[in-house]
Formats: sequence, structure tokens, C-alpha cells
Amino acid sequence: MTCPERIAELVECARREENLRESLRMHLAGCTGCTERWEAELQLTAQFRKIRLQAAEWRPPEALRESLLDRFARQPRPVRFPSWGVAISGRSAAWALAAAAALFLSIFLSHAAGVRTRHARAVAAEARVAGLGQPYRYESSTDASALSSDDFIAVPYAPPLAQGEIVRVVHTELEPEALASIGVAAVLAGGLHGDMSADVVVGEDGIPRAVRITEGAQ
Amino acid sequence: MGNFPAAGNQWRVIALMQPGDEELYRLMRNGNQDAFAQLYERREPALHRYALHVSGSPAVAEEVAHEVFLQLMGPSCRFDGAKGSLESFLYGIARNLIRVVRRQGPVAEVVDQPCEHDILGDLIGNETTAALHRTLRDLPERYRDVIVLCDLEERSYEDVALLIGRPVGTVRSRLHRARALLAAKLKRLNAPSEVFSR
Repeated sequence: MTCPERIAELVECARREENLRESLRMHLAGCTGCTERWEAELQLTAQFRKIRLQAAEWRPPEALRESLLDRFARQPRPVRFPSWGVAISGRSAAWALAAAAALFLSIFLSHAAGVRTRHARAVAAEARVAGLGQPYRYESSTDASALSSDDFIAVPYAPPLAQGEIVRVVHTELEPEALASIGVAAVLAGGLHGDMSADVVVGEDGIPRAVRITEGAQ
Repeated sequence: MGNFPAAGNQWRVIALMQPGDEELYRLMRNGNQDAFAQLYERREPALHRYALHVSGSPAVAEEVAHEVFLQLMGPSCRFDGAKGSLESFLYGIARNLIRVVRRQGPVAEVVDQPCEHDILGDLIGNETTAALHRTLRDLPERYRDVIVLCDLEERSYEDVALLIGRPVGTVRSRLHRARALLAAKLKRLNAPSEVFSR
């Protein structure tokens, strides 16, 4: 066994704070180099132990922990679609949601056109009976094709009606702000603004699906 | 003593019920704050000590440990479980951050920069360990890392091999070499005082 081999064993013994076996002790008695190294290794081990004991008491400051947790709570969460098995970041999620909303809106608008064909005749008949349907210029913020003086304007972003769902037509007085709040803007042809009569198509869930302005109040 | 085996079993069961780092990471990426807190409490102290021993500065250590977890929660975190353990990934971030700090110049001495957390300040400020820390900081990174992880953090050669991505034999030989370098440097540092004391 050579000195370098013995030193490798000395280092491990010093690190583990184990006793030296007899042959090593006998070698140390006659080898200055190995003895010096053994003593240096023992000193190192003792100093490392002291550092370990002091450092073991340390705990992260509560304020740092709290600030990290707070930051974690505030940061935007990724959106996960389990069935797709993919997670997307906050920015990508915004794009995905925008695309989904656009898709939903286009489906809804085409569905709303169907609603008009199914219900508009009955509603219009009711309006005619009531003697309503004065010439107003209607503006829909989303559906320019719905501009008509005697037709219903689909309410944007409203959920689509279910197959066979029974709708109610409610005749009511509306302020322009109320119309604007559901995404429909109405301006009187004569430039007058004020409360107006309207027919509102309401689904079974109570959500308005379409509006027709029938008369400006004043 | 009669109850000891039962208590031991109980602890073992509890230990087995602890989710692994990777599971906690998965949960925290899904927005689970408790998982993040658990991961932080589990890994922060050792990372902080590692940064302290390697940088020699409590301020840098605090900043590095904090930044590691900021990066972990950030949108650009690139942890891939197939490439290694989360712990190894965290040490990698800490190592890179310390490299950046060291590249910017020597870190402030702890005596010039009082720190709120006295235990760490005392640790390096203590004369008996200050020389060792200075010598440790001057070692090449490959030697410094194994000293800190094997001797100060008491990690096994196998653990350290996984953490630094090197074979066990390399870790062992680096550690022996590092201890020889440290011993030689400390001997040189102590020599004048020994002569003076005679």
C-alpha cells in the first residue's frame, strides 16, 4: 500500500471521525508526510463540524417566506386543459380565451339568426298588434347585419338558447344605458334620446337574448 | 423502549406520505400555494447555506435563495424531470446566480455588511471559521461545491453526484483534492502566527 492510497483512507477516516486501523497507525508513527496530512484532516473535520452546528440553527426569515408566498399568490396562473394534457401560460391563455370567445360569438350569432327566424314572426305579430314598430335607427355594437327597423337585435355574449327552449317576449321601458349595458346601442332617428319602449326576448334562464326597440318615449 | 418500534413505524409511514419534490412542483405549477410553501420550507435552508458557504456573504446568500424560488415560480422556469431531480435543478440555479455575482466582482465582506440574521453573520464573522471560509471561497468552483455539499451539508457521495451531475468517483476524488488544497492553504495561513507565537 502506497502513501497516496493510505492518505485516501485517512481522509475518509477523518471525515467519518472513525478510529484508524492498526496498520495505518503504525505507518503514521514512521511517516511524517502522512502524519501531517492526518492532523490537517482532523482539524478540517473539526472546523467543518463547528460550521455545521452553527448553520443548522438557521431558518429562513419569515418576512422573506411571506413575500415569496404573496408573490406566488399574485402571479397569473397557467390555464390547464386536462383533456388536452397541455398547460399554457397567462399570455397564451388570453389568446386562447379570445379565440374561444370569438368562436363562441360566431356560433351564437348564427344561432341568434335562427332564433330570429323562429321567433321573430310571432314577436313582430305581437308588436304589430300593439301598434308598435316605429322607424328608429338601430345600432348594434356587434352585429351590423341586424340593423332593421322591425327586427330583433341579438344581445351579444348572451348564451345560446337550448334546442326547444321556450322564450318569453317582454314589453318594457328601457333607458339607452340599459341597452348599452347588454351591448346594444340605440339612437333615435330624430336625434332624441330618452327612455324607449322595447320588446325583449328572454330565455328560460331570465337572460335577454334579443331586443327590439319599438318606440321612443320622449 | 418497548414502544420504540411502533413509533419508528409511525414515522416511517409519515415519511412515506410526504410528496416528493417533483410532485410538489407539479402541484405548485397548477397554482397550489401550499405545495410551493412546502417546497420552500424543505429546500430553502440548505440552498441558503450552500449559497452562504460558496459566496461567503449572508446578503448574497439571502438574495440567491430568494431568487431561486422566484425563478422556480416564474413563467420561464424550465425544469424537466427527465433531466434530473428538482433539487439538482435548484442547486443549478443557485450555482449560476452565484457565478453571476462573483463575475460582478468580489462580494462584500460580512464584517462590513451587518446582516439582520445574526446566526449567519456570526457564522462567518467568527474568527476560527473566517479563514476557512475565505480559503474555501478561493478554491475553484468544482472543489468548492463538493466541500460544501459533502462536508458542510453532509450529503453522501451518491447524492452529490446526482446534484452536480458527475460520477461518484469524480466527487470523491474532487473532495480529497479539495481537502488537500484547503489543508495546504490553511497551513500556510497559520504558519506565520505559529512562528510568531513561538
